[in-house]
Amino acid sequence: MTSSEENHGTEKHSPLEQFEISPYGHFETRIGDLAFTNSSLAMVITVLAITLFLTLTVSTKSIIPSRMQLMSEMSYNFIAQLLNDTVGNQGKKYFPFVFAIFMFILIGNMIGMLPYSFTFTSHIIVTFALAAMVFIGVTVLGFAKHGLHFFSFFVVPGLPWYMLPILIPIEVISYLARPISLSVRLFANMLAGHTLLKVFAGFVLPLGFAGVVPLAFIVALTGLEILIAFLQAYVFAILTCMYINDAIHLH
Amino acid sequence: MNNKNENILKLKEKIKNIEKKQSNESQKKNENGASFGFKISTELVAALIIGVGIGLIVDNYLGTKPFGLIIFFFLGSFAGFLNIYRVMRRIEKQ
Repeated sequence: MTSSEENHGTEKHSPLEQFEISPYGHFETRIGDLAFTNSSLAMVITVLAITLFLTLTVSTKSIIPSRMQLMSEMSYNFIAQLLNDTVGNQGKKYFPFVFAIFMFILIGNMIGMLPYSFTFTSHIIVTFALAAMVFIGVTVLGFAKHGLHFFSFFVVPGLPWYMLPILIPIEVISYLARPISLSVRLFANMLAGHTLLKVFAGFVLPLGFAGVVPLAFIVALTGLEILIAFLQAYVFAILTCMYINDAIHLH
Repeated sequence: MNNKNENILKLKEKIKNIEKKQSNESQKKNENGASFGFKISTELVAALIIGVGIGLIVDNYLGTKPFGLIIFFFLGSFAGFLNIYRVMRRIEKQ
């Protein structure tokens, strides 16, 4: 109590405090603590929000859609168009996968923009799990479609034979780098944006009247952050489409 | 009758103008610099992480202490530049 009274007014809030995981209770297993945390709660809320949004808005099924119905139809069309542009007609089979990933990241980012909520995409383990799912799925798809012929993906066509020992390792490394660049991009964007918001929010009160300047900056930054939240979900979806395309049509 | 035709023509012109505006706007909608920088840097860093990781693993198993790391570091950086080249080519295409 005394320490909090001493720090009254200048209470120390770390800008990184928002990313802390706090478990609700304990669930000890042999591989560690699998407790339900605030991160899991945010994910459950995200999934519930997506399910409610998509089922309730299209439940009326009117020919002239209402605004909400139009929104869910637009999100469907957006990914269907994306998949058609990058993969072509064969890509229709993978629509549920891409759509699920896109909506999960998008709504997760947007829920993270609400005050007092939790951004689960700002943890590398979450984004890496998503990226690894895409990576393993695409690799399995490539082997299922082409068999061992899939290895020819690493051979650039029209190259003299003496370049192959150098270029095959380079191609393999650039293939293995995909999940890392995919996950790091989403995680770093969300982490940097939310930290920046909190850091500037910390300037507002100590600066007194001049605190209006960082306050105005935060308002602008929040708009940019919402744009980034959408853009990163879009980038994740379009790269997933491209990887599926690479696996279906080698080169 | 004549009046109706004129109205339709006016509507056509209006639609054309709106379509023109929309196509202009979609061309203007370029990515901002920060996201472009993020895209390029993550490609390079990811390939380097994989290259150095493979180098360290190879050294650990084969006992070729510095050489595996050196070789795979360079291969990783080449892979990073190759990825950047591919990203740039994709952006050029659009």
